[in-house]
Amino acid sequence: MIPLVETSRELDEEQERGTLERAWRHPGGFVGWCSYTTHQAIGMRYIVTAFLFLLAGGVEALLMRLQLARPENGFLGPDRYNQIFTTHGSTMMFLFAVPMMEGMGIYLVPLMLGTRNVAFPRLNAFGYWMYLIGGLFLYWGVFTNTAPDVGWFAYPPLSGPQFGIGKRVDFWAQMITFTEISALCVATELIATILKMRAPGMSLNRIPLFCWAMLVQSFMVIFAMPAVMLASNIFLLTDRTVGTHFTNPAEGGDPLLYQHVFWFFGHPEVYIIFIPALGMVSSIVDTHTRRAIFGYPAMVLSMAATGFIGFGLWVHHMFATGLPQIGEAYFTAASMMIAITSGVQIFCWLATMWSGRIRMTAAMHFVFGFVAIFVLGGLTGVMLASIPIDLQVHDTFFVVAHFHYVLIGGALFPLFGAFHHWFPKFTGRMIGETAGKATFWLLFTGFNLTFFPMHILGLKGMTRRIYTYQPEMGWGPANLLASVGAFVILFGGLLFLANVIRSRRHGLPAGADPWASGTLEWAADSPPANYNFVYLPVVPGRYPLWTDPKQRGLVTGVRADRREVLVTTIMDAAPHHRYPLPGPSIWPLLTAAGVSAGLIWAVYQFSGYYPAIALGTAGLIGWFWPRTPAGDER
Amino acid sequence: MSRRRTLPAISALLLSACAGPQQSSLNSAGPQAGHTESLWWVFLGILSLIFIAVLGVMLAALARRHPEFEPASPERTATAADRTGRRLTRAVAAATIATVAILFFLLVASVSTGKTIAGLASPSSSLTIEVTGNQWWWYVRYLDDNPQRIAVTANEIHIPVGRPVQIRGTSQDVIHSFWVPGLNGKRDLIPSHITTEWIQADRPGRLRGQCAEFCGLQHARMALWVVAEPESQFEAWLDRQRQPAVPPSDADTQAGYQVFMSHACVLCHNIAGTPAQGQVAPDLTHLAGRMTIAAGTLPNNKGTLGGWILDPQSVKPGNHMATISLKPGELQPLLDYLGSLQ
Amino acid sequence: MTAQRTLDVSRLPDHSISSEAPLWWGQMLLAAIEGTMFAILIAMYFYYRLSVDVWPPRPTELPPVLLPTIVLVLLIVSCLGSYRASEAAKADDRGGMSRGLLFNLGFGLAAMLARGFEWAALPFTWAADIHGSLVWTILALHTLDVAADLIFTAVLLVLLRRGYHGPRQRLGVHVDSVVWYFLVLIWIPLYIVIYWGPRLVGAPR
Repeated sequence: MIPLVETSRELDEEQERGTLERAWRHPGGFVGWCSYTTHQAIGMRYIVTAFLFLLAGGVEALLMRLQLARPENGFLGPDRYNQIFTTHGSTMMFLFAVPMMEGMGIYLVPLMLGTRNVAFPRLNAFGYWMYLIGGLFLYWGVFTNTAPDVGWFAYPPLSGPQFGIGKRVDFWAQMITFTEISALCVATELIATILKMRAPGMSLNRIPLFCWAMLVQSFMVIFAMPAVMLASNIFLLTDRTVGTHFTNPAEGGDPLLYQHVFWFFGHPEVYIIFIPALGMVSSIVDTHTRRAIFGYPAMVLSMAATGFIGFGLWVHHMFATGLPQIGEAYFTAASMMIAITSGVQIFCWLATMWSGRIRMTAAMHFVFGFVAIFVLGGLTGVMLASIPIDLQVHDTFFVVAHFHYVLIGGALFPLFGAFHHWFPKFTGRMIGETAGKATFWLLFTGFNLTFFPMHILGLKGMTRRIYTYQPEMGWGPANLLASVGAFVILFGGLLFLANVIRSRRHGLPAGADPWASGTLEWAADSPPANYNFVYLPVVPGRYPLWTDPKQRGLVTGVRADRREVLVTTIMDAAPHHRYPLPGPSIWPLLTAAGVSAGLIWAVYQFSGYYPAIALGTAGLIGWFWPRTPAGDER
Repeated sequence: MSRRRTLPAISALLLSACAGPQQSSLNSAGPQAGHTESLWWVFLGILSLIFIAVLGVMLAALARRHPEFEPASPERTATAADRTGRRLTRAVAAATIATVAILFFLLVASVSTGKTIAGLASPSSSLTIEVTGNQWWWYVRYLDDNPQRIAVTANEIHIPVGRPVQIRGTSQDVIHSFWVPGLNGKRDLIPSHITTEWIQADRPGRLRGQCAEFCGLQHARMALWVVAEPESQFEAWLDRQRQPAVPPSDADTQAGYQVFMSHACVLCHNIAGTPAQGQVAPDLTHLAGRMTIAAGTLPNNKGTLGGWILDPQSVKPGNHMATISLKPGELQPLLDYLGSLQ
Repeated sequence: MTAQRTLDVSRLPDHSISSEAPLWWGQMLLAAIEGTMFAILIAMYFYYRLSVDVWPPRPTELPPVLLPTIVLVLLIVSCLGSYRASEAAKADDRGGMSRGLLFNLGFGLAAMLARGFEWAALPFTWAADIHGSLVWTILALHTLDVAADLIFTAVLLVLLRRGYHGPRQRLGVHVDSVVWYFLVLIWIPLYIVIYWGPRLVGAPR
């Protein structure tokens, strides 16, 4: 219990606000813009950049669908097609999905926890720059005929020194390095923030489900990303550039081990994308059914269990490689078991909807779409868990259908719901509801038109990653339908963009809490001030804004003349100490630039890693060098 | 036309005219694929019901109440926030238990199907075919204890009806995957590894397969054909494969033979019994007996073969066959010679 | 105006040199990341090792064990300096922090020197065979981490000497020890796997 003191002292909110405004003011100019370290700014940068990469990936998808619309089509040759599908997958997985979820987390988590920033603001900025540079680096490759062409998972020996021509695979491998560093930075700061910087009173059982989702996801990133770093950097990059033998059977290497190490990352990766979306769904559902999510402990435990079990499934991507049957059967069981944890989430949401008062906003439309599409995808996943069935449909369009159902249904639809739900908070205006619902119907229809036929194509034998197919195979009509559907999706996307642009200018002013929601982000201004709250809140329950105002409290004594936050204990969120956060700094950008220059150099010459390390070290020294005498920031 | 040339011509006609070669997993021609197909229908049936149930509950929840937007009052939602409801708890628990039970059933069905399929392996069977993936064709070798009875071919596999056949797979270069859906699931062909699977055809017919692991530029055009035929026909075919190439018998084929042997063809291709002993391209010793060329890309006839030889890059851009420059008057004899290699 | 319920935290300190500091958690997570990477490398080592009979593959010789053992001992001893500095940081003992860091830096650099000699004398390169690739990769990644930490320690020492000894630097000294302990600790299983594994469980050579 947090002892709250009834004070008759009137809080001088105006003065406090003025002081905070000064301490948290953004520096001006271009250099100032590059120095921002507030989480709202960095989070929004991630969101916008990731959205642009979504559009790029979408263009690649449309090109692929144009080529496959007819048999023996001559629109794209094999080399171009192979580059496009590889770039599509890599963009969507590494440059859109994970960074987008991270951006939403960076923006929303401090607001939901009742604090002012993430725990490591400069690390946050550094992570963003690394992501941006890595993405631009890959696309520099795309526009110079150096796009990777070996599939987003880049199996050796095809991606190895003997068969992976030119620098294409090296571009891919180093892009991984950039995005992994970025993801690890975000994961580190989110965990530290969620564990240590919650508002007083926000004990573990009062943390919003979205924050639990980001916590689980961040731990998954910590344990999964090192695997892909190793896979891309030592199996591929060093084998290709300096002659190590990780994939060379002649000297004891083994291309199959790459698959183990890659998929040890690769399977958790999809849950890294999916679990934040689960959190978003919970936030949308509780607000728009006007009740708490049913079964909070079950929801938390099932997310944690999903994260944990997700590390034990990876061999289901390798059933065709001839591994021993007994081992493979374990992976069947685990892959089916994870349906239970996801199922619990669905059941709890259905229970919430059943007993709540549903408000069919555009955001709720996307939640309904998510349930329909994701559950279908999850059920085809249960099919894929079965080894005999998998051995028939693996590496066919059936799998392409499956993962688009679970990723688009399970992550993209919640994300669009989240955009419509939090748009008022991000921009201060309401988003057009009618256009939002129309967006949903276009995306839902287009998606099913595009991807449902692919189940059938896979069962009829159409393998993945083929740039063309023969007319007598009978795959033409379904492919044409899928291509038409892709353009319906495009229209949905364009409508969404138009809605966003129009609503930013002409949407109804939103106020702090247009949805009468329960969680703390709706107590801040719309859009939030850089410092989020004038006074940090004291949290009396799971839904602070739905509790009696007489029960709520405010924190006083956190200094407003510098960027200070309150650090609390992990279990009970009891206040422990105050902590000054750093202000704007150009060092994250300088460090990122130095490290990036070295990493890019290393693609051509391995010794580029030396300047990467040296410049990174120099950057970090500047970063941490004290500004004030005696290192005292008082 | 001799009888030997009729068969490829008819199959070419069939290929282009009929509804399409079946590459479906739901059209099994053998026990392994058959068991998998049955398992598929069980899964599809049960999981479809689950999908309909979940969707039904969701739509029913939507239909239950649909009030206009109204802001929540703090007192109302304070109790709502703490309400769990015993009925709802029981419903969620029941759904979870049902999920576990159904998944367990499906797990048992899957594992037992896998065991049944594995049990179809027959070590006493005497037919083992070694398949080696190459970019972008299939090297096929019929193994035998007696080295004289080993037969090498490419891109087309014949098997006897009713007999279990073991496929032993590996790769010469990158990872490929051997997949004939009508017979069994796929098996990856991994360099420096040997993977095995058993196939068996229950009736005569022709089944199409395709490489199912992305292997580079022409992954899309790496198909194969499996011809299942009665035992006696199979033995006759295999016997023929063991023989060296038919020597050129008339002026035309002799001229063609000379063309072949004097060009770069001999560096890559093997024609048993001739100086052409290249090992990095499909064996051509009995080319004329095959249904297709270029790993299932084109039907095998003079026109397509001529087009292929003159410009392989236009058919399979990026493939490793060099473009041979022939003088006028060299192509026809060459085609005659190749057409004689039954 | 209605009375506002408040929680006053002004009397709380504005720093904490302990595991309650977010930075401490950040360093632990960094250790988790590196630890996962090394764990995967160990798993890879055994995957490759178990698929052959002779390890290291002929004609590669076993890596010598004397210098690595000296490195290990020096690293373990250096932890004493880390501990001293970390405790001094909690007690705001400037002299103690300096001495502890200097001790740590000294032994750490000595360990790196010994490793340098070991490296120069390794009878194989990373391109010799899979064993060479593995050993060089593990050594390189560990050395990189150690070098980074030593540079960080040196910078802290410079700051202390120049009069920067406020809470931020003290926290830095305290959390620096977390990573250092981890780097030394992780080296123990790596050392055993690389240098003793082939000697204890190998085919007769």
